[in-house]
Amino acid sequence: MNSSSIIITKNLNKFYHDPVEFHALKNINLDIKEGEFVSIVGASGSGKSTMLYVLSTMDSDYSGEIYFDGELLKNKSKDQLAEVRNEKIGFVFQFHYLLPEFSVIENVMMPALKLNKYSRDEIYLQAMEKLKLLDIEKLAHNKASKLSGGQQQRVAIARALINHPKIIMGDEPTGNLDSKNSEAVYDIFRNLNKSFHQTFLIVTHDLNFAEKTDRIIQLKDGEIIHDIKK
Amino acid sequence: MKNLLKKDNLFQISYRHLISKKRQTIVAMMGVTFGIAIFIFQGGLMTGFQKTFIEQTINTSANIRIYNESKKNLASILSQLNQYQNAIVFLRNPKPKDESPKIKRANEIIQYLQKHPNVEGVSPNLSAQVIFRSGITQVSGRALGVDIMKENILFNVEKYNIQGSIVKLQTIPNGIILGEGLAELLNVKLNDNITILSSLGVALEMKVVGINKSGITELDKTRAYINIRNAQKLLMAENDYITDINIKLKDINESQELAENLQKLLGYKALDWKEANANIFSIFKIQNMVTYLIITTILIVSGFGIFNILMMIIYEKLPDIAILKAIGFKDKDIVRIFLTESLIIGISGGILGLGLGFALQKIIGSIRMNVKGFVTLEYLQFNSSIGFYLFAFFFAIIVTAIAGYIPARKAAKTDPIDILRAK
Repeated sequence: MNSSSIIITKNLNKFYHDPVEFHALKNINLDIKEGEFVSIVGASGSGKSTMLYVLSTMDSDYSGEIYFDGELLKNKSKDQLAEVRNEKIGFVFQFHYLLPEFSVIENVMMPALKLNKYSRDEIYLQAMEKLKLLDIEKLAHNKASKLSGGQQQRVAIARALINHPKIIMGDEPTGNLDSKNSEAVYDIFRNLNKSFHQTFLIVTHDLNFAEKTDRIIQLKDGEIIHDIKK
Repeated sequence: MKNLLKKDNLFQISYRHLISKKRQTIVAMMGVTFGIAIFIFQGGLMTGFQKTFIEQTINTSANIRIYNESKKNLASILSQLNQYQNAIVFLRNPKPKDESPKIKRANEIIQYLQKHPNVEGVSPNLSAQVIFRSGITQVSGRALGVDIMKENILFNVEKYNIQGSIVKLQTIPNGIILGEGLAELLNVKLNDNITILSSLGVALEMKVVGINKSGITELDKTRAYINIRNAQKLLMAENDYITDINIKLKDINESQELAENLQKLLGYKALDWKEANANIFSIFKIQNMVTYLIITTILIVSGFGIFNILMMIIYEKLPDIAILKAIGFKDKDIVRIFLTESLIIGISGGILGLGLGFALQKIIGSIRMNVKGFVTLEYLQFNSSIGFYLFAFFFAIIVTAIAGYIPARKAAKTDPIDILRAK
């Protein structure tokens, strides 16, 4: 135990009741450490996305226990969970979901403005720094909607990084990108993991991508069937 | 404004949503603008007219009028005496006994009333049904015998006198002040002579010393002021004969209570101005109800406009709402974003509406209308009090807030996972 845990689950179970009773996650016991680069794989319907959204605090309809950064999530209100996401989790989705009326830099600043820990000027500088890190600082003042798919995904990664989250969660972050851009996204993640010890938890069906990560969790019918650490 | 735009993140999101939907935003805004403008115009016209009417009514009818009410439908004495079951009593064409409407001991009553702390003025009068005659023209009407200086304290006769002078009614023994409409009907001018003829057959030769315009059309067509002594002559009455005592109060809101007390105390009917004009007030009530129903409907319709555009924006922005929730915006933040949008529409549309309503009032109010109906008005009178404008504005804001809150609540309730989940 040389590093602390970000997420620990104990007997995590989830049921869907609509349209029929369905046991989506079965007795998940998981321990994700700080600095790990984890991918979750499995066939569609295996429960990998469901698990991600439960772990992301957005879905609170489950049984069992989740400790996030040492805190039990069960007792937290909806608003408190929103605060946890804002401060400690960065998200990258299949589609970038940038706000089209705002510029690139404004999109990146958005979670930090919500957190309201630093002044607007400081946040601006931090956001610029993230854009530089991802090599898109030239696009800072462009409208988000005017960018290519690959560029938009980089902006989304910059936005995920802005509050220095404990973990970045991704739901098929390369699912909508060509192989060249997918490669680039992996390189970015890998770099962040190496140089900043950034933790990642990425759901993907891209086996190429998964194989390069440090830990692969495979789900089948809501159960973890493999948990391979390299 | 610029500062607010920069600083408040949520406000920024609201603002940019609207900017990106300029045309629909302007249409929704115009809905509110016209709603409020009509509110101000229509409601202002209604209440303005009523206010004018009430003011003129207060000025022309006494706060409290004391008179001897003739008793109606007295059962005949004969039928009261009839205790025999089998008897048939005939009584044909009964006539009321000669009962005088005179107020007895009028002077004492007047002196008593003048000492009352809430009484501003007391004016006795004697009214006679007469025929005004000038040449071959005859008009029937009412000659009101008054002490003109006392009457002036009550009804501001001098202010409404458009020709001649009211003082001459005291100085010229056979002076008469005619209503404007009456003078027109008789085709007489100041200083002309006319004859008045009472129902008892007494004729008096009078000289027109003034022409009066109260603004209430019916009154100006039928009423003339004469000296109280001349009225007594017309009715062949002694010189302490009066039938009415009118009272002006310092606080007219106490009229009802005081009237009740006086009625008990004096034994004569005491009618306060609200009771005397009760039917008009009930007409006003219905009028107001209908007007405000229409105006409210218009504002609610403009509320639907806002509701509509917000639903449209929200539907289109579901992915944005989902990502905002994912990155840590709370439900109440989402509500605030969309509620702010509706309030921006409501407030800016509302301010424009206030301006438009004000302009309409001023433009229509400056056109000479010469209304001769209930009251005589040269120009339409609008209620343009700040309170009325504020009321209209706040009413619109409340409608807007409700129209905005319902979709905003719906937006906040959306489950981000359904939208964000990879397909």
